[in-house]
Amino acid sequence: MLAAYVQYWKINLLTMLEYRADFFMWFAFTIVYHGTALAALAVTMLRFPSMNGWSLREMFFLYALWMTAHELHNALFFNVTYVPEYIREGRFDRFFVRPFDTLFQVLTVPSRTFPDGFILGLVTLAIATHVAGIHVTPLTVLTIAAVLCGGAGIDLGISLFVAALSFWLIRVDTLRWIVMSLEQDFTRYPISIYTRGVRIVLAYVLPFAFMNYFPASYFLGKHDAAFGLSPEVGLLTPLIGLLWTAFSYAFWNIGLRHYQGTGS
Amino acid sequence: MFAPYIEYARKAFAREATYRIELIAEIGSLVLRVYLLRSLWTALYAHNAAPTGLPLHSMITYTTVALLMSLVLEVDGTRIIREKLREGGIAVDLMKPIVVPFAYFSDGIGQTLVHALAILPSLLFALLLVRIDVPSLPVLAIFFCSFALGYGVNFFVNFLMNGVAFWTLETFGLQLIVRWISDLLSGQILPLSFFPGWFGRAVFALPFAAIYSTPLLLYVGIIQPAQWAAALAVQAAWLAVTAGASYLLWRAASQRVVVQGG
Repeated sequence: MLAAYVQYWKINLLTMLEYRADFFMWFAFTIVYHGTALAALAVTMLRFPSMNGWSLREMFFLYALWMTAHELHNALFFNVTYVPEYIREGRFDRFFVRPFDTLFQVLTVPSRTFPDGFILGLVTLAIATHVAGIHVTPLTVLTIAAVLCGGAGIDLGISLFVAALSFWLIRVDTLRWIVMSLEQDFTRYPISIYTRGVRIVLAYVLPFAFMNYFPASYFLGKHDAAFGLSPEVGLLTPLIGLLWTAFSYAFWNIGLRHYQGTGS
Repeated sequence: MFAPYIEYARKAFAREATYRIELIAEIGSLVLRVYLLRSLWTALYAHNAAPTGLPLHSMITYTTVALLMSLVLEVDGTRIIREKLREGGIAVDLMKPIVVPFAYFSDGIGQTLVHALAILPSLLFALLLVRIDVPSLPVLAIFFCSFALGYGVNFFVNFLMNGVAFWTLETFGLQLIVRWISDLLSGQILPLSFFPGWFGRAVFALPFAAIYSTPLLLYVGIIQPAQWAAALAVQAAWLAVTAGASYLLWRAASQRVVVQGG
């Protein structure tokens, strides 16, 4: 399995070298996507220096933390979002006749993936950490790494859950759009700006707030104005990532059995 | 004389109208963003001094109307050029007794009308979350004129972007890049007056400002009646420039249609 995975990344690397122009265009796209988001944030906060008690520097760190975890997810697990398409087009069934775990096979469909966004995220996060004035010790680095893995796990757990729903429903696009919007747009700001219902959704139902809001509050030593929780809550991110991934994987397996049951 | 173009628009309307689920998703994500931006600006105004001339209710009106406009403006009516080029259909179209850019424009109009239908339900849902200012009748009239000019500029900017496909064949990534930059510089995300210093003055001199910023500033009353004519004249000038450039591009491009095999 490991050998197959190494082979998968070799293919990705070779594909990237083959389609260099394409690769640079998508890399530029990633830069512009995050660049315009950060530029909009900077322009806004030059006029309005305080976002519910968060400064621009702190907001930069908040964004960079989400961005890096999300790009880590994109680099490793992006194929999960193609599952509904595979099922609709009947391309999913081939995974059943091969000797590997179905999810593993989904994750290793060659798709011109390259961890360029993640590398960009790491650079941005390093700058943001410095700009936000966080005192960095080896322990901080380890903690941030754990939070990033946890954040990618939350991301994976939720997208896997939506993908698994498509074993029952043909169209999950609407749901996916709304979940994506909740993640990409709502994680840009501290959740304390939202009304109570939305805060609860972001903290406990679809816990995107654990990708950046809670851990950022911990690293920046900020009081949580959303629920009045202690900052150490941010350290739960790896655990929540693990739980969500495990839960969704179990749900995925139930879906697989169901799919086989009605498939032929 | 117009019959074939009306038929193009009708066909495009029927085609686009089959994607009902996507349309519902679009309305849903719009309502979410209305809520998001309400929360954002309410928090920002509560903790900071308000900028002059733009109180909170105007800001919320601005962002909500911008989102409703985006339902129509984010339709890329000229995507058809890219598709026709890839699939080779453009060669057949060029042989037909029609003016091809007009046919594609009609196609774009047809698509746009479907999304325009989403404006009313979106507005109704948005009104559950926010209150928006309704300006006087003359202001509304000038807003719609300006919106129409902005629609034209947006169409030709898209036309130019898709026209690049005549040379490179793959433009999707490039187009998304231009889309993100244009969203920021057109005033869709935030008022252009928020940009600092010389950059703040420079963004008003770009064609993107004619798409969102001018109609929106007319709507919230920042552009006063005395400046209405000038504002619309600038938009019309950009419309002429982008349309002229599109014409030149089309003339150069149709000389060199390369049809890929298949």
